[in-house]
Amino acid sequence: MLLGIDVGGTHTDAVLIDEQKGIISKFKVKTYKNNLLDTVITALKEVTSGFDVKQITNVNLSTTLSTNAIVENRLEKTALFISSGPGINPSNFCIGKNTYIINGSIDHRGNEVAALDTDYISKALSECKNEGIKVFAAATKFSTRNNTHENEIAEAIGDRADYVTMGHELSSQLSFPRRAATAYYNSAVWRIYNSFIDAIIGGLKNIGITAPVNILKADGGTMPLAVSRKIPVESILSGPAASIMGIIALSSIKDDSVILDIGGTTTDIAIFAAGSPLIDKEGTSLDGIPTLVRSLQNRSIGIGGDSVIKIIDGEITVGPEREGPCMADGGNEPALVDALNYRGIIKYMDTARSSEGISALAKKSKLSPDDLAEKAVNFSIRKIRDEINRILDEINRKPVYTIHEMVHGHKIIPKKMYLIGGPARALSMVMSDGIEILVPENYDVANAIGAALARTTFETELFSDTGKGKMIIPNIGIEEQVSRKYSLEEAEADARRYTREFLEKSGYRIKDTDITIIESSSFRMINDYHASGNDLRVKCQVKPGVVMHLHK
Amino acid sequence: MIKAANRLGLVFFPAYDWAISPTHPEREERLLYTQDQLREEGIFDIKGITELKPDIATETDIMRSHFCFPDVSSVTTESHLISAGGALRAARAVMDGEVDRAFALVRPPGHHSMKCVHGNRGFCNINNEAIMIEYIREHYKTRRIAIVDTDCHHGDGTQDIFWHDPDVLFISLHQDGRTLYPGSGHLREMGGPNARGRTINIPLPPYTSEDGFIYTIDEMVLPILEDFKPEIIINSAGQDNHYTDPITNMNFTAHGYALLNEKLKPHIAVLEGGYSIQGALPYVNLGIVLAMAGLDYSHIKEPDYDTNYSPQDEEITDYIKQLKKPVLDNYFNPRPDMERAPEGEFTLRHKNIYYDTDGIQEDQREYIMTCKNCRGLLYIESSSSVNPPCVGIDIPVNGCARCTKEGYKLFDKAVKQGNFRTVQMTDRVNKKYERHSR
Repeated sequence: MLLGIDVGGTHTDAVLIDEQKGIISKFKVKTYKNNLLDTVITALKEVTSGFDVKQITNVNLSTTLSTNAIVENRLEKTALFISSGPGINPSNFCIGKNTYIINGSIDHRGNEVAALDTDYISKALSECKNEGIKVFAAATKFSTRNNTHENEIAEAIGDRADYVTMGHELSSQLSFPRRAATAYYNSAVWRIYNSFIDAIIGGLKNIGITAPVNILKADGGTMPLAVSRKIPVESILSGPAASIMGIIALSSIKDDSVILDIGGTTTDIAIFAAGSPLIDKEGTSLDGIPTLVRSLQNRSIGIGGDSVIKIIDGEITVGPEREGPCMADGGNEPALVDALNYRGIIKYMDTARSSEGISALAKKSKLSPDDLAEKAVNFSIRKIRDEINRILDEINRKPVYTIHEMVHGHKIIPKKMYLIGGPARALSMVMSDGIEILVPENYDVANAIGAALARTTFETELFSDTGKGKMIIPNIGIEEQVSRKYSLEEAEADARRYTREFLEKSGYRIKDTDITIIESSSFRMINDYHASGNDLRVKCQVKPGVVMHLHK
Repeated sequence: MIKAANRLGLVFFPAYDWAISPTHPEREERLLYTQDQLREEGIFDIKGITELKPDIATETDIMRSHFCFPDVSSVTTESHLISAGGALRAARAVMDGEVDRAFALVRPPGHHSMKCVHGNRGFCNINNEAIMIEYIREHYKTRRIAIVDTDCHHGDGTQDIFWHDPDVLFISLHQDGRTLYPGSGHLREMGGPNARGRTINIPLPPYTSEDGFIYTIDEMVLPILEDFKPEIIINSAGQDNHYTDPITNMNFTAHGYALLNEKLKPHIAVLEGGYSIQGALPYVNLGIVLAMAGLDYSHIKEPDYDTNYSPQDEEITDYIKQLKKPVLDNYFNPRPDMERAPEGEFTLRHKNIYYDTDGIQEDQREYIMTCKNCRGLLYIESSSSVNPPCVGIDIPVNGCARCTKEGYKLFDKAVKQGNFRTVQMTDRVNKKYERHSR
């Protein structure tokens, strides 16, 4: 049996899935923001009640804890050490009151241009000591090409820290500002996350669950619990990804498709290319801050079942505000669900209250209640459709860097639309786009299903300058000497091998075939008309996927 | 989070799968390290900076600016169409108000491509800026345009294309042609008979440094621009004036390029040359991007700046100061062309052009009509070591009825005569572009 829990902002969902019988238990509860632990334990107990917990072979948990801590600024005082070298003024990248900008620089080829100012580091550290700072983050420019400066900072901090995050361990990707921010937030949530995890483990033990635990990430994959303790920032924004993985498990998606997760306040939109969810290459943004946390591409707009209907300059609009629940559910302002109720598209809770609200609002305009309800529904559909078109346009207009991709690039044209969430079935009846619309079974707990069935994901990039005879894979700590003849084939093989070894060692469950090379390039480097070696870059990943499908 | 003062569009097209030859300086990874630097700086996360995908230039886009012999597809590859398309995308973004400024970081470059194209010269096949300017004039109301070419090599192609055009001011700053390819760009080259003073050449001595460039901008370029009052300013942003460039002898810096850009305030910049791809381009491009976005670039410095850069000698400073008067005279009081034909007749110019990259020799007879109502009909007969005689006819933007009629008369005559391999008609008045091949 596989257990999945998604602790979301409003609801916490849990499912228990049997490898043969499919979903055998599901449970939904309101999330107690101030006591996530209680929420999780309640969900665990309820969803497993009546079942033999010893049969559970895996537990996957998606939690909003780190996200909330960052968004609500419940962060531990963290010192950030950055060294930037030439470029944008590094003072732009300070976070919190304890950012220390250290002289020192490494260029884009990984050469040290200026050594670190160790005197300043010592001075900064004594200041941190006086302020009682126990968690630190180190991010230096081009540390993914040469990590010595980050290592030197970490060494200088030594055992005065409970934890130090080094930027190059988070991702192999370039982007110094994202590296600094991601490292900072990783350290700032490190303690709160780890004590939460300790409590969860205690809770699981009490219930008698001994299966391995994995944590959901924003890219729709999982990481082993032990790994997550070091990179808690990777657990942010996993909720939307869990829903997307749920749809994958519930439907057999093969074409270019649109996924709509229609909730109470918002609709999340995701795009699939040839059946695979698109990944945000650079990393997701949290509260407007770009990070290196890989995520499934997902856009949220302010249209949901409880989005309030308003009349603005004689025009009927819906959302983006939510003034409590819809009237059918005891609210005071008519919302989208009330319009759907009025039109007879659904019969949700107190339909009489919906009619009351729609009629009252219609009186304020010159419209009949029927017209008003229809206009509200049409407005919502148009809003969603416009946003889908905008996203598709952005994806199809995304820059490419080779002539081959310019000329032969694939254009995404969705053939199917999958709807999940509360009002999904209702909207599926009125969204007539000439596109096939599908509403999978059990969509109400798609997020927990996605959590339960998500596989491991991972990404890494190998970088080699054969002229210097050096090869590195920054985020898994590989640095090796290679010969001048080191080839792209060898680099690809090494990328696979080292990634696999790292994953096995770290407790990931993975088969060899799961590691795919997604980018691979070799440039001949020329100095004054003479070949000076090759610049090799190999990116590989373990793609998001599910361990089993639930559709027939 | 950083927010750009000017909304900036970046068209980044490095053409990672195209090069002239395996060891050629204009090669695949020319922009690889620039991309590394821009990504590491987080440029694309800055609010107000948008990355744009290039268009692909069409045959019509190219025929608007060039006579391609025997035809467009024979002298271009997809890489050229995308590079030119990158410039077009940058122009569209600015002209449509999507952004305030745009920088097309594209390759291959284009500023050595002339009106007639038989092949590649100076690493260029088609002229990205010229194609962009004619696109702008065809699709928007803009007429007065200034191009400031800050590549180290004289922008002889752009000069040739706008030689007869009084509405396009072309200013080129470059290493003196007596010391560097293509050998032209002297003070006496100042525009055709109908456009005197609209081509301005500023040949700078080797080892000109930050001071010399900034003096040239402040004392020569800006006063001329102030008088010309262009509707838009375009910068041919070559980066081979850098002190580390392997194929030139100048002494300019990343910080200097950023400062120059900040003073020039181009609406659109298009990358040209620049072959110090590790030591200069990442920093120069970053400097230009920040300057165009209106952001602080004071922290940009090359890793070897302190050891390898030195300010210019006094001798060079004096030499550049002496250029000021003749340069300003060329614009404000240009000597008239003594050989200019009377009204209604053609002025003839003989040209021999060498295509260094492809080893082609071209022989040209260029005729420009003296016309009091428009900038004059252009007629060119051209033959080369790879093409038998060809003809190009250009009826200019806002061309008069007489020039239009005369243009078609010449076209019919050339086609009927039957001894030309290709006859191209570029009719800017009726927006008609046709080619007759034999």
